[in-house]
Amino acid sequence: MLAYLARRLALAVLTIWAITILSFVIIKLPPGDYITSYIAQMSASGGFVSEAEVQALRREYGLDQPGYVQYLRWMTMVLHGRFGVALEWKRPVSEVIGDRLWLTMVVSVAAIVVTWALAIPIGIYSAVRQYSTGDYVATFVGFIGLAVPSFMLALILLYLGFKYFNASIGGLFSDRYAEAPWTLAKVWDLARHLPLPALILGFAGTAQLVRIMRANLLDELGKPYVVTARARGLSEWRVILKYPVRVALNPFASTIGYLLPYIVSGSIIVSLVLGLPTVGPLLLRALIAQDMFLAGTIVLLLGVLTVVGTFLSDLLLLWIDPRIRLEGKQ
Amino acid sequence: MDRTRRRVTRRELLQDAALAAGGFALVGFAPEVWAQTPKLGAHLIGRLEGPELVRDPAKWPKKFSEAPMLAELVKQGKLPPVEQRVPQEPLILKPVREIGRYGGTLRRGFTGPGDSENGNRWVSADKLLFWDYTGNKVMPSVAQAWLLSEDGKSVTIYLRKGMKWSDGQPFTADDFVFWYQDIYLNKDLVPTPNADFMINGKSGSLRKGNDTTVVFEFPEPNYLFLDILAGSTSMGGGQALWQMEGRTMGAYTPAHYVRQFHPKYIGKDEADRKAKAAGFDGWVAYIKNRWDWRLNPDLPVLTPWKTVTPINNPSWVMERNPYFYEMDTAGNQLPYIDRIVMTLAENLEVLNLRAIAGQYDLQERHTGMAKIPVFLENRDRVGYDLHLDPALNGSDATLHTNQAHDGDPEIAKWLQTADFRRALSMGIDRDQLNETFWLGIGVPGSIAPAETVPYSPGPEWRKKWATLDVGQANSLLDKIGLSKKDAEGYRLRTDGKGRLRLELMTAAGTFIPQTQIGEMIKEQWKKIGILADVKEHERSLFITRVRSNEHQIDMWANDGSEVLFLFPRHALPVDPVEANLGYPIAVWYASAGTQGKAPKDPQLLKALELFRTANGKKAQERHKVAQEIWKILVDQVYSIGTVGQSPATMGVRVVSRKMGNIPERQINAQHCRTPGSSQPSTFYFKG
Amino acid sequence: MDRPPHSPGGQAIVEPAASSHPAIPEEAEERISVATQWQLMWWRFRRHKLAMVGSVVVLLFYGLVLFADFFAYAPPTASEAQRSLLPPQPLHWLDGGFRPHVYGFSGRRDPVTLKRVYTPDPAKKIPVRFFARGFEYRLLGLIPADRHLVGVEGAATEETLFLLGTDEQGRDLWSRLMYGTRTSLTIGLLGVTISLVLGVLLGGISGFCGGGFDTVIQRVIEILRSIPTIPLWLGLAAALPSSWTVGQVYFAITLIISLIGWTELARVVRGRFLSLREEEFVMAAELAGSSQARIILTHLVPSFSSHIIAATTLALPAMIISETSLSFLGLGLRPPAVSWGVLLQQAQNVQALAISPWLLIPAIPVIVVILAFNFMGDGLRDAADPYGH
Repeated sequence: MLAYLARRLALAVLTIWAITILSFVIIKLPPGDYITSYIAQMSASGGFVSEAEVQALRREYGLDQPGYVQYLRWMTMVLHGRFGVALEWKRPVSEVIGDRLWLTMVVSVAAIVVTWALAIPIGIYSAVRQYSTGDYVATFVGFIGLAVPSFMLALILLYLGFKYFNASIGGLFSDRYAEAPWTLAKVWDLARHLPLPALILGFAGTAQLVRIMRANLLDELGKPYVVTARARGLSEWRVILKYPVRVALNPFASTIGYLLPYIVSGSIIVSLVLGLPTVGPLLLRALIAQDMFLAGTIVLLLGVLTVVGTFLSDLLLLWIDPRIRLEGKQ
Repeated sequence: MDRTRRRVTRRELLQDAALAAGGFALVGFAPEVWAQTPKLGAHLIGRLEGPELVRDPAKWPKKFSEAPMLAELVKQGKLPPVEQRVPQEPLILKPVREIGRYGGTLRRGFTGPGDSENGNRWVSADKLLFWDYTGNKVMPSVAQAWLLSEDGKSVTIYLRKGMKWSDGQPFTADDFVFWYQDIYLNKDLVPTPNADFMINGKSGSLRKGNDTTVVFEFPEPNYLFLDILAGSTSMGGGQALWQMEGRTMGAYTPAHYVRQFHPKYIGKDEADRKAKAAGFDGWVAYIKNRWDWRLNPDLPVLTPWKTVTPINNPSWVMERNPYFYEMDTAGNQLPYIDRIVMTLAENLEVLNLRAIAGQYDLQERHTGMAKIPVFLENRDRVGYDLHLDPALNGSDATLHTNQAHDGDPEIAKWLQTADFRRALSMGIDRDQLNETFWLGIGVPGSIAPAETVPYSPGPEWRKKWATLDVGQANSLLDKIGLSKKDAEGYRLRTDGKGRLRLELMTAAGTFIPQTQIGEMIKEQWKKIGILADVKEHERSLFITRVRSNEHQIDMWANDGSEVLFLFPRHALPVDPVEANLGYPIAVWYASAGTQGKAPKDPQLLKALELFRTANGKKAQERHKVAQEIWKILVDQVYSIGTVGQSPATMGVRVVSRKMGNIPERQINAQHCRTPGSSQPSTFYFKG
Repeated sequence: MDRPPHSPGGQAIVEPAASSHPAIPEEAEERISVATQWQLMWWRFRRHKLAMVGSVVVLLFYGLVLFADFFAYAPPTASEAQRSLLPPQPLHWLDGGFRPHVYGFSGRRDPVTLKRVYTPDPAKKIPVRFFARGFEYRLLGLIPADRHLVGVEGAATEETLFLLGTDEQGRDLWSRLMYGTRTSLTIGLLGVTISLVLGVLLGGISGFCGGGFDTVIQRVIEILRSIPTIPLWLGLAAALPSSWTVGQVYFAITLIISLIGWTELARVVRGRFLSLREEEFVMAAELAGSSQARIILTHLVPSFSSHIIAATTLALPAMIISETSLSFLGLGLRPPAVSWGVLLQQAQNVQALAISPWLLIPAIPVIVVILAFNFMGDGLRDAADPYGH
């Protein structure tokens, strides 16, 4: 058992190292670099850059070095706990990400809550009343979120919000509170802006969870102990409600591997459309601008979280399901 | 001349539109020329107007007053009274409409730290010289007066006595000397001399005349230097623009503040130590950060507003500068507006939607032409006005042919054949493009700048080679040897390798929908038998490909080229940073022939030669030279113009109805640093 | 990538098992016990009404893919500024009898609102015919043809008929939608096929051979999944040589998308292999002396192929969503290519919502197809389980 854990840990470290190389490579992959992106942006916005500046900036940012040199420099920094300066933001990467991190987590958690709040009842109902009209309707509703392109929905809702409700557009705060210090009013402002992204994102994830809930519940309902419980005279609903807890644990345990990075990165596309100040759009901008340190750090962070999450999830499963323990021994 | 707001009659509207299009009161014109049907969108294009400089001392105000928030600080003893804060001879502006009121916070949208121009342009009153609201006359700004010597070898700048930095310290010629000696000449900060401060490869120099006089000197006549100081160039662009983002130009810098980071004054070890303590690699990176007005709220500036919350935050906030040197004719120290708050919009649709919803008070950046109908639809409900400010450049979406293309010899040959380019140009239906993408508001034609610009070669060059003539295009192509076509009507290459396929490179995410325009042109070129392959790239990749000389034809704007000598890069291949007409040629030009590849085309060589000698010519001569160059460029069609002189870039202006002193039309040009020439310090909130 | 993840690809952790069921008559039981696996699947599938509907819809759409040229009536690139942003033209059915027709129209730009304004001219009736002649194309890429589903008489169809209106360049939206459907659904199919091959191959090796192979492949999967997809796409898409034609880029995008998709399938396959390996019939085959290959091909593959079919069917809508999202970000197909993603991207702006909302219509087939595939896949998966009734 211990040997298994140790082996998994070693493999995890190896995986993370491979991720650092891959992250670096894919960020550097597009031709050009931060400077060309900078030139393009300046030119398109009515400004301009001189050739002397271009050369100077290249040297300053170390972009004239070969790829592997840049990689080694980056790795050395990371291992020392320094993540560099975000080229576009001119601030330390840790600050730039840190600013947005907890807001991202708030939105992601809200989305997850919405997903579970929608999916669990639909899943249960769907399993219990399988093949009924109600099942079809509930399934349909649950799956709409999967089918509707969320970015389109986001823009439509933004526009309708403006047109009919004079709602503040996008973002997580109204103008007034954006720069203001934290007060109860600001918290309330955040709470008022949260439903739109939470609903759009939550809805999108509902279908998959419905599937899992329904499948697992169906499986459980066929088992002997359920028959016994019914025979013992427990009401139908009590029988059903006793087991979803256990049923829910199982997928939660195995999906924590994906939840962890999601909470930190949030969604990219919907956040972009809604103008949310979260990590997702930050990553996209950094990638397009080829801001090595910022993009690299975020990608690395997400990769590490996935590995950690998978590891945790394996541990959890190990604890829950003894069969896997045995399998691991082989 | 106070112009009260009254309902303008239709006749006046037509006249004004015509006048505005013609350039107000500067160019003599015959009335018949303007007797046309009203241009589309004319009711949104007002009369060109702006604040005027009052130069007659007799009209200057005797008593001064200041903003209430500053008066409060004076009362508390934290600020000296206003008489002591402004120079002895402040710049007196007559606002375009009336004397304004103090107060208010201006809301705008910006897209991130890369959007510096959003703020820079608002504070371009920190330039030494400037262009007036018509864009044609040089006027003093920070400088009180100037003198261009007869032989063109020196420009003397006279500063304002008693002028102070935003922290109260005196602003003198020493700040220029400091910049020149300790920044420009310091090899760690400026490795190579700057082209704007050179003439024919020889460097200029700066010396102090007295405390309020600075002299720029050149070994040879450099009459253009006056324009350079007035324009948006690295010598004249102002401290805010040219000392941000690690730049080192701009001609002056607050010596008393920057000294404390400079190794010459505190020693290299101390400078490096300070830098490391602040988290920077070395003193160079640190000092560049410290003199960046967008990032450092402590930096002394001369701008009307100074940064209080830096640009790399979710909001960029600026507050008034208590020592600003401008006043209105009633003696009120400008600016009227107390604060500017720019909020970050993560994507352009959100930004535009917020503008539509009235969440911004004045927004002319990032607003798109395609959204004009939506702005119009909502303006009464929300309470803003829409103004359109057409630009002066000939073509917003220009097809630049790469004159140095070497990847495909057959294509290279055709790109360098004038008749081929002319045929391509005549195969484009500009009216279709105008209607689809410019809402019919643009002016179809060649790349030549607007006729009101002194460099314009004349109205007949608007249409030269730039009208739809499929018949002539086809016969030209047949004549030059491309007469063989395949079964579907596409012309074949003469080297036997199949269809002649031209690659048209566009950039993604630009204001003007380049790729869609390319699609339409591709359809239109079918009629002349040319197969175009439209390839859209990420902007950064676009630039990279241009710099690696990979493209055949690319699409970009030609903005800025209307003032050819100040910003030539969109018209001529002279700057390696953006060399749509051929990177090797630009390198050849910029290195004075030592690197790169000379162009083979004799006409292009002639144009470049004319350009090279222009710096040393006086204004009148220079204008003639520019006209010659434009004639060559238009006749040779190295760049194919489509539709221009439109509000597509920074010309769709949304203004809250609560604002006052907003010009109906403002000059939309790069050298005027729109909205700089409209003097935003005179805008105010009516309450 | 954009939704809170729960085991993406929708694999169930535990197989759906028997649901409570009334007793089956003896004769039917007899039939069930001698029915083949596929017949059993079919019967169970039929019970799932939504799945049946979904399958029909999917088939209809793929019919559209094959005959896109026929269903379209205008070339997708035919632009004309004078009919820019034309709203959908109503089809009138009666004119003294069943004579479908549309009205002619005239358009101009309103000088005050700067919108394009169109006035239909009821006097100008243009008869609409079915199976009319129109622009030329090649049916199934081989047979030259010029008949289309609808067309007009006495005029060029592409200049008169606009059932779903036009886009900014005046191109008929209906025809572009037909071609877009073809592109998007084909990418999906291609991508899924590649994912299938890779997934089965690598998952199979992983599950069956175990040991070293398993560890390596599992780690590769884990690494691929740890990289957020968007950077991967961005990097790969930008690295494509720009000299490639639209077709080559299209194929490359498909390849890129499927490089992520195969990991899901591989895990499913591996899981199945692992559990099936211990089954008695495998041991029996081994004892009987069958070679490894024979065991895999004749015994194992058939028993989990139903699961693979189900997983594959569910992977398709994911492909479509990926293509749509990628194109929205500008990383996938770009104009001048036509796909659902490109069409939606051109509608993803304020002016489309406010003034020309018909540009959003391409979202409808997207929604319908994704729903259909999902229901179909669910039904297949429910039916595939040998232990279900």
